Amino acid sequence: MSRTVLERLDRLPKRNLTVLALKGISTLVPGSWHNLTSSAELISEVIGSSDPELVGQVRARADGLSNARHEGYGRAIGLYDAVNRSQHATGGLRILANATAGIPLLKRLSAITPPSDTLQAVDLSLKVAAEMLAFTQVNGLPGDSFGDFTAALAEYGSEARVRMAALICFDALLPLGDQALQRLDGLLGSTSQADLHRLPAYERMAGQIPGRGDAAHLGFLREGVGQWSGWAQGFIGELGLNGQKAVRALEGTLGPWQGRMDQLAAFLDAFTDTYAHTGVQAVARRLVERAAAEI
Amino acid sequence: MSRALRWALGLGLVAVLLIGALLVLPFRDWLPGGTVADIPTAQVVNGSDFNRLFPAPEAGQQIVFTQEKRGFAEARLKQGDELLGLLAISDTTTAPAARSKFSVSAEQLGGWPLVEQGSQASALLVADRFQVKVIGQGSGLNSEKRHELLTAFDLKGLAALKSARAPKALPAGSQPPLRLPLPKRSPEQRTPEPALQEAA
Repeated sequence: MSRTVLERLDRLPKRNLTVLALKGISTLVPGSWHNLTSSAELISEVIGSSDPELVGQVRARADGLSNARHEGYGRAIGLYDAVNRSQHATGGLRILANATAGIPLLKRLSAITPPSDTLQAVDLSLKVAAEMLAFTQVNGLPGDSFGDFTAALAEYGSEARVRMAALICFDALLPLGDQALQRLDGLLGSTSQADLHRLPAYERMAGQIPGRGDAAHLGFLREGVGQWSGWAQGFIGELGLNGQKAVRALEGTLGPWQGRMDQLAAFLDAFTDTYAHTGVQAVARRLVERAAAEI
Repeated sequence: MSRALRWALGLGLVAVLLIGALLVLPFRDWLPGGTVADIPTAQVVNGSDFNRLFPAPEAGQQIVFTQEKRGFAEARLKQGDELLGLLAISDTTTAPAARSKFSVSAEQLGGWPLVEQGSQASALLVADRFQVKVIGQGSGLNSEKRHELLTAFDLKGLAALKSARAPKALPAGSQPPLRLPLPKRSPEQRTPEPALQEAA
């Protein structure tokens, strides 16, 4: 049997590259970010009591809920994992292309890897789609009206500010430049179905993306990113995010960086798990909120 | 038994198991473990039925719905940016332990049994089935405020859901009686025999 959501939360690293990168990004976002890695702490925070019997009841209920396939909590974690694996793969490809571009005999390697920007744009769109699918898996479609649903999304956004800031910085601003969101639609438009298949996350997510066939999925991804970039544009404006600021924030925790911005992005993609890390934390919080209300 | 035969049998067994597992794979949603406590989702009231029963927010406060699943709906009570508490209605069909904790409670609110869990949570059991709960968050809500919120839910409407929606609770493993569309026999058809006897 796979691990429950709370077990995953307890196994998250307390201090590594991922945590340091997130800490760096969190300095750009108002409010403090706390690296939550203890399920007991989360449960007592939600129920406002550290009575071991109550905590035990909440934990048992949460484990029951996350083991039930129909409830979607496990599926949401699976989505985040798939995206994370894809991020590692594309990051690795980009580093390889970068490293081999200067070596005469290996130049062909960088020629056969797809253009970095397109790949990055598809990777970002898959992450946004995973975020939306995971939202509906975890929260259902809350409320009776479209207004209720968008309010729930906004609420989720405020809770997930650090993860969204990390997504925007690591996957849009650093690799694609400050005009990333404006370029995104054009880049996705030039994406072929073969490019889609180069991303391992796509194979894993294809069953959950609405629509039949690669062309429909590509349409869904484009539309999703279109919707999301409107919100992201406001977020960037509100916090005044740009590539330079992101690099400076990261240097605060990771140490000085002397390469190009897209190299930093490739490095972070290949060696950190920011998406799965914050994803597990977000799903665990929603799960515990539900379990606390159901015991 | 020769060594070759033993190997063949062993490999054959492995192959049969593998093929069997592959054949079952598409049906894994039907296997047990898909739903909470293995209770079919049809026996649990959907969360969308709970939404309209939540209290209306007071002036300056906001109610934001955050989760809606089978047998569960949850909203956050906010004042500006500050989170005051979680409001939730759940169907205890999948959580019998949640229902049994009310059997020892002496307190009542609005005619329904009330239980306090820790210093921040109050729960009410409506119609012996639906649990309504208020959990204070952050700086918290005091118990009067929590009770006020609990009574502000549409408890009558919630109790009515039970009779409207509740399926007959059947013991595990049994099936509802079959109702075949047989034509009703009319009284004339039922007693043809005496007439025949008289004629004879």
